[in-house]
Parts: sequence; C-alpha cells; structure tokens
Amino acid sequence: MMKLVPLLTAATAALLAGCVQVSAPEKPIEINLNINVKQEVIVRLQKDAQDLITSNPELFPQ
Amino acid sequence: MTRNAKIAALIAAGLTLAGAATYAVAQSASLISVALSEGQVGEQADGYLGIRGPSTSALRAEVDALNIKRRAAYTGLAEQRGVTIKDVAAATGCETLAKRVPVGRAYLMPDGVWRVRKAGETISLPGYCVS
Repeated sequence: MMKLVPLLTAATAALLAGCVQVSAPEKPIEINLNINVKQEVIVRLQKDAQDLITSNPELFPQ
Repeated sequence: MTRNAKIAALIAAGLTLAGAATYAVAQSASLISVALSEGQVGEQADGYLGIRGPSTSALRAEVDALNIKRRAAYTGLAEQRGVTIKDVAAATGCETLAKRVPVGRAYLMPDGVWRVRKAGETISLPGYCVS
C-alpha cells in the first residue's frame, strides 16, 4: 500500500502532463470569404459589363 | 401676326433651343475627352470616371453628370441580376481598366493611387477581376 501511493502520484502526474490544454479563444474566429464571393460575382457579371459598355458608348468616352 | 407666322416663330424658337442643347452636349463631351487625353480625368477601378488633381467646376460638373448616368445603367443591371450596384460597377471597372485605358491615360486603382499607363504596360488588375 505504501508503495502504491508514489506510483499513483507518478501516474497522475503523467496523465496531467499528457493533457492538451484547449482554451476558447478570446476573439471569435473570423474567416474572410469576401474576396472569393466578390470574384465569383464579378465572373458572372463580366459579359454583362462588356455589353453595358458597348451598348452605352456615350457613357464611356475615350 | 398670322397663325402661320406664329407657328414659324415657335418652330424657330424650338430649333434654337435644340441647337443650344446639342452644343452643350458636344461641349461637355469635348471637356471630358480633352481631360482624358491629358490624363486629368481617368477610369477608376470602382467603375466611375474620376478627376486626378485640381479641376474646374465645369469639368467636375460634366464628370458628375456622366457618373450619374453610369450609376443609372449599373442600377438597372444590378436589379436584373440580383447583385449590388457596387458589384456591377466593379465588374465594369475591371473591363474599362483592362480594355479602355490607352497608353498615356490615367487610371485609379483600389489603393487610391492614380497611375499613368506606360507604353507596353499591361495594367495589373485588382485581384477580384477576371484575368
């Protein structure tokens, strides 16, 4: 019994050391998808934008 | 004054007004095109025309008027496609920067810096533009 105590203490210490501490971040995690969303919209609008320019040449003087 | 004379006078007045309006439009177009060729006015990445450096109030008024017309066109397209006016304007800005800025003309990038396109230079478009 007297031998078990240090053994248990050592085992507990080992267990604690093996723990990975995970703490919640203070700031919320932000993932910025703005650029991708914008590019997707622009891709869809490319042809429309070209047509808008050619059909309104007076708005796009050169 | 006979009836015919009155009609003739009205027509003459109408023609004078139309002539003045045509002159004003021609005048404004030339103000902007001169400023464009001098690099005083240029295309912006946001899809509108901008003035680089100091300007006259007449030029400012013409550029504003043109941009209002552009915005109206962008608004129509944005409603049709269910996107924001800003997106349509930015997509148009990508097109004008890519294809409608000849060498020697000024253009404004999203970083707020006016540049003049050099000979042989391809404008490096903003990241969101279709390459």
